[in-house]
Amino acid sequence: MHSSRSDGRPELALIRKAQAGDDRAFARLVKDYESIVYSFAYKVCRDREKAEEAWQDTFVNVFRKLKQFDGKSKFTTWLYSIVVNNCLMKHRHTKLEKAVVRIDAPEGFHEDPVVDAEGHVIQTIASWKDTPIDTLMNKELRSLLDGAIKKLPVDYRVVFVLRDVEGQSAEEVSRMLKLSIPAVKSRLRRARVFLREQLNDYMTT
Amino acid sequence: MNLKKIDCLDVAKHVCGDLDEHIDSPECRAIKKHLESCPNCTAYLDSLKKTVLIYQHIPNPRFPKRSRKTLFAKLKLRT
Repeated sequence: MHSSRSDGRPELALIRKAQAGDDRAFARLVKDYESIVYSFAYKVCRDREKAEEAWQDTFVNVFRKLKQFDGKSKFTTWLYSIVVNNCLMKHRHTKLEKAVVRIDAPEGFHEDPVVDAEGHVIQTIASWKDTPIDTLMNKELRSLLDGAIKKLPVDYRVVFVLRDVEGQSAEEVSRMLKLSIPAVKSRLRRARVFLREQLNDYMTT
Repeated sequence: MNLKKIDCLDVAKHVCGDLDEHIDSPECRAIKKHLESCPNCTAYLDSLKKTVLIYQHIPNPRFPKRSRKTLFAKLKLRT
C-alpha cells in the first residue's frame, strides 16, 4: 500500500464520517482501498477465489470494527493487520503447507571456500542470469514463482510480501503481526533464502 | 558476528537479513570487504536481490469490481 493518502488528514475526516454511520463515506473508503487490499490478498493467497474471500471478510471486519480505529496509527497499518489475519485464516482452514526453511547453511556455502594456487576464492555458487525481469516473466517462470511461494509456510509468506513486495518497514510489520522485530527479520531472512533456493536451478541454467 | 573471523556463512546470514540496509554499520563494512574478494558471496547476494525483484514484478490480477457490489449488498449500504 504505497499510497500518498495513507497518512492524509482528509482521509481521517472520511474515516470519522464512516465511523459516525455515513454509508457513502464508508463506500468511498472501500473504493479507495479495494485494489490494494485485493492485491495484497492475492500476493499472499496466490489464488483468485481465496483472495476474493479474504477481501470480502476484510471489509466486513472493517465495517464492524471501524469504531475501534482511533487514528493514532496509520489507517493502512490497521487495514493490513485485518487483511493479514484473514489471509492467515484462509490458510489455517486448509492443511498447512510444510517446508523446511533452512538458513544456517544455504546450498553451496562452505566455511572454507575452495581457493586456487594463488589463494583466490574459486566461484562455486553459480551466478544468476542477467536477463531483464520483463523478459524473464514468462508462463513457466510465473508458474515456478507461484509454486515456490505456495510452498513457503504462510506465516513466512506474509512477512515476505509485507516487507519485500509491499515495502512496509520492519517496525510496521512487527506492529501488524504482533511479532518482535527480530522475529520479523528472522522470518524474512528464511523466506528470502527459501524462495531463492526454489528459483536457483531455473535462474542458473 | 565475529568481525575478525568473518566467513561466507556469516556473510550469508547477514546479507539475507539486511541486503543493502545499514551499509555503514561495522558489520556491513566487514561484509563489504569480504564481498570484494569473494565471488560466491557476491553471486549469492545478487541472487537474493533478484529473488526479491522478481517477486516485486509478478503481474497480479485486477480487482474484480463485482466483489464491491456483493459487499455493499451484504452490508446493506445505502449509497
